[in-house]
Amino acid sequence: MRFLQRHNDQPLNDGSGNDDSGSSDLLQQARAQGDRMLAAGDEAIQRALAGSNSEAFLRASRQQGGE
Amino acid sequence: MNEHRKATALALPKLCGADIELGNFIAGENRAGGTGYEASRALLAEIDGLPNRPGGYLNNWWVPAAAPRSGADKSTGTCATVNGWGYNPQDTARRFLPGNGGCAYIDLDHAELCIPEVLSAFDHVAAWHAMLRIMRTALDCANEHRPRDRKFAVLVNNTDGHGNSYGSHLNFLITRRTWDNIFYRKPHYLQALASFQASSILLTGAGKVGVDNRRPYTPYQISQRADFFETLQGIQTTFNRPIVNARDETLCGYGALNDPSGPARLHVIFFDSALAHGSALFRVGTMQLFLTLMERGLVNSRLILDDPLSALHGYSRDPSLKAQAELISGERLTALEMQSEFLEDVKHYAAQGVFDAVVPRSAEIISLWEDTLIRFANNDWTAVARRGVDWVLKLMAIERAMDQRSELDWDSPEVKVIDQLYSSLDEDGLYWAYEAGGFAEKLVTPEHIAHFAANPPVDTRAWTRAMLLRRASSGNVEVDTVDWDRITFKIRGRHSWPSYRTLDMADPLGFTQAEAQPIFDNCLDFGDLLDGLESLSAGNARSLDAIAIN
Repeated sequence: MRFLQRHNDQPLNDGSGNDDSGSSDLLQQARAQGDRMLAAGDEAIQRALAGSNSEAFLRASRQQGGE
Repeated sequence: MNEHRKATALALPKLCGADIELGNFIAGENRAGGTGYEASRALLAEIDGLPNRPGGYLNNWWVPAAAPRSGADKSTGTCATVNGWGYNPQDTARRFLPGNGGCAYIDLDHAELCIPEVLSAFDHVAAWHAMLRIMRTALDCANEHRPRDRKFAVLVNNTDGHGNSYGSHLNFLITRRTWDNIFYRKPHYLQALASFQASSILLTGAGKVGVDNRRPYTPYQISQRADFFETLQGIQTTFNRPIVNARDETLCGYGALNDPSGPARLHVIFFDSALAHGSALFRVGTMQLFLTLMERGLVNSRLILDDPLSALHGYSRDPSLKAQAELISGERLTALEMQSEFLEDVKHYAAQGVFDAVVPRSAEIISLWEDTLIRFANNDWTAVARRGVDWVLKLMAIERAMDQRSELDWDSPEVKVIDQLYSSLDEDGLYWAYEAGGFAEKLVTPEHIAHFAANPPVDTRAWTRAMLLRRASSGNVEVDTVDWDRITFKIRGRHSWPSYRTLDMADPLGFTQAEAQPIFDNCLDFGDLLDGLESLSAGNARSLDAIAIN
């Protein structure tokens, strides 16, 4: 189950009502750049999960209710 | 009331404070009662502040603790400040910071950070991240000599996934008239405020895997707090939580509470803790704008949800943003449609100058708000994540991990760990990886954040508080007690008992650098300094009409 549709299936719309292919290219480039930068998170996730005991982590993170 | 009269109604600059609890524990240590007690105290011990009571944090019975103000609900404790002696599990060892005028303390085994009062939503983002930076330094110090598998961990979140929630509270300066309208005179104001907040999770939610509080299962929610809200309004904060909190502590001097023409403080317990700049900005900036409209009497009675509580739960449980909720008119709107309608109202009145001098940089807030809603409307999730909307950024991270590791699903403990580690304050925090990698947009500069780690805002009373704490840290003066609206000093004479002097700083918009700097510059003697500031205090005892912006 996925909530987000990355690299949208739907046509790009900059809100101006113009269907400008140059603008669309720029947005595609921006998305590609964003995708590359997301890789920094991928590495952090791999580091976090590598060799760790997830269930033990979650048990230890139990908190007192507060406000 | 015609529109002109509405638009000239009283409005106060939307000064904002925040008191925000953190998740804290010892990673790798599994105890029945958790490790929050030990972790919170170890963290706070690394943060210097005043009053200085060595060792006091270990003994709740003899540390300064909050005393409920007149009218506050004693059964719920208080988020008030250091003005008495005694035991209060919700306010242990509070210390104010001479650096920026904010404070830190322990609330029910959670380290809690309070930013100094600010006027601008952008300053809020910077001051909040500055406080996180201070806590990060404390965390590093506390962990310095600990074994690798028993380090303290800090999570900037609001729920542990075990059924416990802790708060991320904002405080807004409003007129007493507006307060009375919300809670005593105009029920549609209360409903409108709750409706605005319920739909605002679109921009402010921190994201959460799973459910709490015996709610029906859903894999991912927009809001961390939604599961814990069970009623529309109330004074309580730790049980049967209300969307709109009615705690009435002005923190503007004792007299303000009973002054029908005075200022009031709206204590907002609704929002999630934000890390991304976009969410942090929107939770303050859009509230400043909405509350200003409310203060001006410009409440759009069309945008009132029939049941804000069920709407909140419905919106939160649908990250696809298709969930609709019913208005009192019978019309049904999504959270995105609701926010778009609110935005149109705000733009309409912005063009009339309604927010001028009330909401700093309102045009920038509105522009960012509009641009972000367009990104949502275009289903451009990458662009929304880059803007810094936490729940989208976190969801993107989780779904990428699930794409890359086919063994993961929404029930995997690893996915819940990713949820938690997104908010880790330490170097393993996912948010920081996205920020450092340039993915998450920064709406304030690192220099702005660094400034507030060591300096107070210049345009609120926080400036004088910080400067007094610095000045009183030397010589024959000690800081005896500190509150947001007063400080008591213990002044030692040469051959006599010490004397005590209290400076009241009731006006949160007063005691700014512009007002107080000349007094600090001209008074080398501490008594003379207090004399000068007291005269300022008398000058600030002006009518509300005089400080309101019309």
